[in-house]
Amino acid sequence: MKLLTKSTLLIATLSLFLFFIMGIIFFQVLKNMSKANLDRELFDLKELVEDHIENYQANHIIALPGIDSLSIQSIQLNRQAGEFLGDTLMYDSKEKQFKTYRYIQFISVKGDAAYQVRIYKSTNPTDYLVERVTLMMTLMVILFLAGIFILNRFIFANLWGDFFKAIDKLKEFETNKEPVILGEQDIQEFEELRLALEMMTSRLASDYKELKEYTDHTTHELQTPLAVIKSKTELLIQSDRLGAEEMKCLEAINTSVNQLSRLNSTLALLTRIENKQFTEKEKIDLAGLLERHLELLEEPIGLRKIRVEKQFHQEAVVLLMDQGLADLLIANLLKNAIVHNKEGGRILLETEPDRLSIKNDGPPLSFKQEDLFTRFVRDTKRSGNFGLGLSLVKKVCETYNFLIEYSFENERHTFTVIFKA
Amino acid sequence: MQILIVEDEASLMDSMVSYLELEGFRCERASDYHTAVCVLDKHDYICMLIDLNLPGGDGLELVKLARENQSESGIIIISARDTIEQRVEGLDAGADDYLVKPFHLSELVARVHSVARRTRMKGGEVLSFGVISVHPDEHSCFVGKKQVDLTRKELDMLMFLMANRNRVVTKESIADYLWGEYGGGYGSYDFVYTHLKNLRRKLQDAGCPDYVENIYGIGYKFSLDKSP
Repeated sequence: MKLLTKSTLLIATLSLFLFFIMGIIFFQVLKNMSKANLDRELFDLKELVEDHIENYQANHIIALPGIDSLSIQSIQLNRQAGEFLGDTLMYDSKEKQFKTYRYIQFISVKGDAAYQVRIYKSTNPTDYLVERVTLMMTLMVILFLAGIFILNRFIFANLWGDFFKAIDKLKEFETNKEPVILGEQDIQEFEELRLALEMMTSRLASDYKELKEYTDHTTHELQTPLAVIKSKTELLIQSDRLGAEEMKCLEAINTSVNQLSRLNSTLALLTRIENKQFTEKEKIDLAGLLERHLELLEEPIGLRKIRVEKQFHQEAVVLLMDQGLADLLIANLLKNAIVHNKEGGRILLETEPDRLSIKNDGPPLSFKQEDLFTRFVRDTKRSGNFGLGLSLVKKVCETYNFLIEYSFENERHTFTVIFKA
Repeated sequence: MQILIVEDEASLMDSMVSYLELEGFRCERASDYHTAVCVLDKHDYICMLIDLNLPGGDGLELVKLARENQSESGIIIISARDTIEQRVEGLDAGADDYLVKPFHLSELVARVHSVARRTRMKGGEVLSFGVISVHPDEHSCFVGKKQVDLTRKELDMLMFLMANRNRVVTKESIADYLWGEYGGGYGSYDFVYTHLKNLRRKLQDAGCPDYVENIYGIGYKFSLDKSP
């Protein structure tokens, strides 16, 4: 979730919750206030009515102004006196519906006659008022929320702009390995972040450069001594004076020096890819490329009795990349599919306009899947491999922003290269 | 049969000279650019092996110079520079072949033979060994008068073994020579073994004695006087 979405959502839920509670309280208070107001009016009216009863014949009292309805009954005096307030519904014949009324009931005594009086007052006008006020409040809340939304967006863009710029710069770091330089920040926390980032990335960049140079120099400097060892061993095995023991030693030396020189040239290749020394771009037909490599790999495929199945997209899939790197990518993926296959297994090659998948039978990985593309991670049971093939594949993919995915299902490994524009 | 070797690494130079002299070549040594320029006209070289990183000058310039002076000679660049661009550059400068360090001496010899054949003999040459004769240009092989049907790989292997006759060649050198980068990295040289087995069987079926000798698992020796 984005920071903006998250903060907006947080503000929205919190304020809605707050406004809901506040709304209920406000509504109740308003209601109570209007009720109290009505009651006060009813008491005033009661005094007025009592006055009238005292001065006139009770029967003659006509409805006084402010009274919506009135009932007077003569009762026995011995009946319990007292006054109380209540709510009731009365039918309004004019509007043909029940309406709520508030009333006050009291006993009024005049001489020896006693009357039970009820004064009714409609709650309609106050209810109406409460309704209106509540509606107004809700409207205001909605407006307020909308305002907060816009304000939040504005403040957000203002406050966090530099932060997002920093993120973009950091993303670039992944590809160009140049130290990240951000301008000075006026927000203290961001300034701290900037200093930390600049220090970290410049450190990383110099480490990276050193490592690269180190590998570069080492691989280069190793070439000559390796050539010497290789040639001297070859000369030595021509000697007639050596016995079986000496030859065994020489064989071990020979095998190791060959492995070492292969390792060395692969590392040199990795460094060169990292140094972006492959910049030529050519149009390469993927199916043709695969066919050519399959032909070159005929022997190892035949030797392990591996069946190769091809499902090529009907239209040619064309890649724009360096020929050398394309060869490297395909050669290593195919080699991987052969070496880690089982005797008599299958290789399935599928091409789509945006992807290539290579599937092969074989036992599951003997190490963690996350380490698959890491240098020197390999099946320990197999000698003569360095576990560099897939890191080469990964490097080539990184160079062209291709995505490489791996999965294992039903005793079958699948590598998928997704070509993004 | 004179060969010029231009290489600044003394140890490597010694190895190459020793191995090539065993093959019957005579070698002229030059360990830097200026010595190389001086001895460029000294003999009519059959082949020149030139390193690119030289003290005193660029090997590529030397290749161009050598090409002007001795158009009949074969030139093989031996260099640690191994990118495609560098190879193309080397071949453009006039080299006939490009061998990346570190290389097998047996491969060097095979390439020297093949370059010498291409430049001197202008084709039409027949290579023979015992009862075997090979016509490299027609890709055909005979045992006595009988033609043997060999695959391209088998023929290449045979020519490689013939070029390194009486020498021990390692499995790795055969694999590297025949399959290049595809030879290594499989952790096994089973396919070298398979091809060699087929080659031996075909030759023997045609009545050829088995000239191939297994040397302690390290490699093979191709010789007429194979010890039983």
